[in-house]
Amino acid sequence: MEEKVKLDEIYIPSQDVVVRQIEDEMIIIPVASGIGNMEDELYTVNKNGKAIMKLLDGKNSLQDIVAELSEKYDAPPGELERDTIGFVQELFKRRLLVRV
Amino acid sequence: MTDSFASPISLNEIQLWDKMKEKKSMISLEVELTARCNNDCSHCYVNLPADDVDSRKRELTLDEIETAADEAMELGTMWCLITGGEPLLREDFSDIYLTLKKKGLLVSVFTNACLLREEHVELFRRYPPRDIEVTVYGVTKQTYEHITRKKGSFETFKQGLDLLLDARIKVRLKTMAMKSNLHEIEEIAKFCRERTKDFFRFDPFLQLRHDGNELRNQLIRSERLSPQEIVALERSDPARFNALEIQCQKLSNHDSDLHCHHIIHCGAGRGSLSLSHDAKIHLCSSLYDPNCIYDFRSGSLTDAYTKFVPKIRMIDSGNQEFLQRCHICSLINLCMWCPARAHLEVGNMDGFVDYFCQVARARAEAMGITVSIPG
Repeated sequence: MEEKVKLDEIYIPSQDVVVRQIEDEMIIIPVASGIGNMEDELYTVNKNGKAIMKLLDGKNSLQDIVAELSEKYDAPPGELERDTIGFVQELFKRRLLVRV
Repeated sequence: MTDSFASPISLNEIQLWDKMKEKKSMISLEVELTARCNNDCSHCYVNLPADDVDSRKRELTLDEIETAADEAMELGTMWCLITGGEPLLREDFSDIYLTLKKKGLLVSVFTNACLLREEHVELFRRYPPRDIEVTVYGVTKQTYEHITRKKGSFETFKQGLDLLLDARIKVRLKTMAMKSNLHEIEEIAKFCRERTKDFFRFDPFLQLRHDGNELRNQLIRSERLSPQEIVALERSDPARFNALEIQCQKLSNHDSDLHCHHIIHCGAGRGSLSLSHDAKIHLCSSLYDPNCIYDFRSGSLTDAYTKFVPKIRMIDSGNQEFLQRCHICSLINLCMWCPARAHLEVGNMDGFVDYFCQVARARAEAMGITVSIPG
């Protein structure tokens, strides 16, 4: 069963990935085996994901991140919360993020 | 904020490449860990004995490699090719590999596989390479060891390759086509295709030595296939022959290039650099003209890429024979000629190489192209 991420938790990129910013693209590069399921697989992160990713610093809980995003983005808090949870859930499931 | 956040994507789908090309970013770095090799292949352009003390002393250190990789990544590099000599001869191979991998570089390794041990395989299993390319010189002990000139190497090669394949490490197989294995080339292709589904290539071009060793160059020349043998081999591989034809159609009208006299029109130094075992930076792994070599130990990779390389690429030819012959030849894309190879063959980057010209003519003839070659 899929483990659900929660707002009061803290997540950071796995030690088995490297996050690179090249030009204006954010790319997640799996370094170790067991991440990703196709050859040459990298992950590109969209604009929204990038904003969240930059705040995953090992100190901010997801709730902190939602609060910070709500100061920057003109979006309903419910939507920001859904997006943040969705993003972290997606990357956590792929083992690109780990819970602190 | 809406929609999906992180998309898995294969390398060739990534949209970044166009941007990087436009900005002339450095996309890849080749690192030659050593010129030494456990084998002594007759056709090799670089190999020195495994116990060559002087060469070993000059080799890049792990710190230097890390510095170069950091600089390359600042310039945008995503790929790193580890090559040699035989890179596994380096006792710190695993440290070097892991250092590059953990930086997030996509790492390829060229090896003869003879020195592969379980510990390497475990490393590759845990931290997968982008690919490992292994050269298959022959599929019989006699042919293989005739080329490697190392007793027992066929057995160690097979053991090493099996270790990789059993561990499902991504392996690409290739061969150098030469006199000593021409009789076995079909068997080599079969051997390779049975083991790797998606990739096999052969290279009929034997490059001359980087160190200019004339005795070794004689050996290399003696192993070279004739133009007719090369064409026959290429025709036996329809996919390759078609690719050559397409390349010829696509690139032979290089009108814009004709109006400038720059010697280098290829991709050398554009998007990639090669760092040789002795810490010299080359625009490509074959370009050994002393005027085109940058000393990494006295400078930096960034300086080499951003300042030195552009100057080298601007070098004009004043050689009328070149300008009126190879430079305007419409078969240039069927030719093995390039500035680096010309320098190795005749000592000048804009030199004429008869063997290359003969190969180009034979290829053109096989394609039914009738062109009068200048000169």
